[in-house]
Amino acid sequence: MIADLIPLLAQTALLLFLAPLLSGLIKKGKARLQNRRGAPVWQPYLDLAKFLRKDMVISEHASWIFRATPYVLFLTALSAGLIVPLVTVQTPLGLFGGALALVGLLALGRFFLALGGLDPGSAFGGMGSSREMTIAALAEPAMMLAIFTVATTAGSTNLSEIVRAGQGSGWTLFQPSHALAFAAMFIVLLAETGRVPVDNPATHLELTMIHEAMMLEYSGRYLALMEWSAAIKQFVLMALLANLFFPVGLAASATPAALAAGLLFLAAKLLLLAGTVVLIEFTNAKLRLFRVPDLLSVAFMLATLGLVSTFLFL
Amino acid sequence: MHFLSAESASRLITLLASLMLVLQLLIVVQRMLITNIRLFALQSLLLAAIATVVAVAYGAWHVLVIAVLTLAGKVVFLPWLLTRLVRRIKIEQEITPWVNMPASMLICGALTVLSSVVARPFTSLSRLGSNTLAVAIALLLTGFFLMIIRRKALTQVLALLTTENGVMLAAIALTTYGIPLVVEIGIFLDVIVVVMVLGILVFRIRESFDSMDVSKLNELKW
Repeated sequence: MIADLIPLLAQTALLLFLAPLLSGLIKKGKARLQNRRGAPVWQPYLDLAKFLRKDMVISEHASWIFRATPYVLFLTALSAGLIVPLVTVQTPLGLFGGALALVGLLALGRFFLALGGLDPGSAFGGMGSSREMTIAALAEPAMMLAIFTVATTAGSTNLSEIVRAGQGSGWTLFQPSHALAFAAMFIVLLAETGRVPVDNPATHLELTMIHEAMMLEYSGRYLALMEWSAAIKQFVLMALLANLFFPVGLAASATPAALAAGLLFLAAKLLLLAGTVVLIEFTNAKLRLFRVPDLLSVAFMLATLGLVSTFLFL
Repeated sequence: MHFLSAESASRLITLLASLMLVLQLLIVVQRMLITNIRLFALQSLLLAAIATVVAVAYGAWHVLVIAVLTLAGKVVFLPWLLTRLVRRIKIEQEITPWVNMPASMLICGALTVLSSVVARPFTSLSRLGSNTLAVAIALLLTGFFLMIIRRKALTQVLALLTTENGVMLAAIALTTYGIPLVVEIGIFLDVIVVVMVLGILVFRIRESFDSMDVSKLNELKW
């Protein structure tokens, strides 16, 4: 029993404490590219600590949904993270569910986030919620199809099984269908984490904001939870993208050496991915809201072609 | 002599070819002209990489000439020329096609599936990447489709160039041993023709119209 708990706790700790670092690194990288010095990479931790200390201001129109949302969001992000293989092939909650559970958990969190945006009755929150749902409706099918492409090749929707199949076969994972699915998944990653071509994570003052608009009414402890869960969701999605398509270096056994190698590989892959995201944020302007479906339709089509090509080409 | 085994070379070629397809779909959906040109350059770079892989893996060193020509012509020279042209004539950056983006994405997807169905009978005899022919036909068809839906001369030329990338891919991946010289001459002719057409078009547009919209060419009599 205790031995089962250790990987669970370890992965939870990893998610909780590395996720803010990743968003700090992305912010820092972006600042450096823009010739700014930027906040230190541990700034997200300081922000979280500050938010946790502050009092909360809650609208008198807010109902229990407003209060429940931060917890639901935090827990769904965290449990989604426990399904994804991060350092080891085996995941703590792998038996609980696979790719479908992951997408479902993220959808549940998003549903509550949208409700939380609507609940206090502010105009911005409602706008943000409606936009978030519009984008999610387009991004989610693309994400599912992309994951299914990999799942079809591996013969299982369990993420551990997919990773294991990928590690065993070496070259087989570099298939054309996977290239298509990877491209689709990358666009979905940008949309889901609110990155620049879709949303601007650095602004609270634009009419075009999406994610920030929904969080506008939150303050104090709740805001900390929501910021933290956004960071965790970003970490989980990036780790999913990295490990699903490039399952190199994940520890198959629990020996210290394998675990250390797994951690190193995870860090390297995430840094590479974060660097790409930073470059895309730096070189692209934010799309007009009505252009976002165009981008997501590419993701959807790429994922569809990926899935179709696993049947047509093999 | 053989740095790559035939098996992994085949996989690598297929992977690079499918990345070319990804870039083609991005070109279809990308609205900014300069970014379009950059994506085309990247696609040509992948083509050159495929040619290099073919040359190294199968010892067909004359294909290396094609790789170098593609690199010089389509990755460096043409994008530079087109970018300069766009900057100099100061045309509008945004492309406005006849068909909206989601619809054209769906059509391109259908074309890709169609091309893989068409290429299916040939996949058994190919020793190279099994579905490279499918990708080549897909590039060809979507390139034609792009030419149809785009209004401006420059963007149509870009579509023609991506079509030509598809033809080159088919030539390199399937028939390469036979006709290297013809293919090389083909590249050069293409490049020259495109440059000439562009020069004439830009000249005409500067003289007659304020816009690059080819549908306005119908109004010459007015």
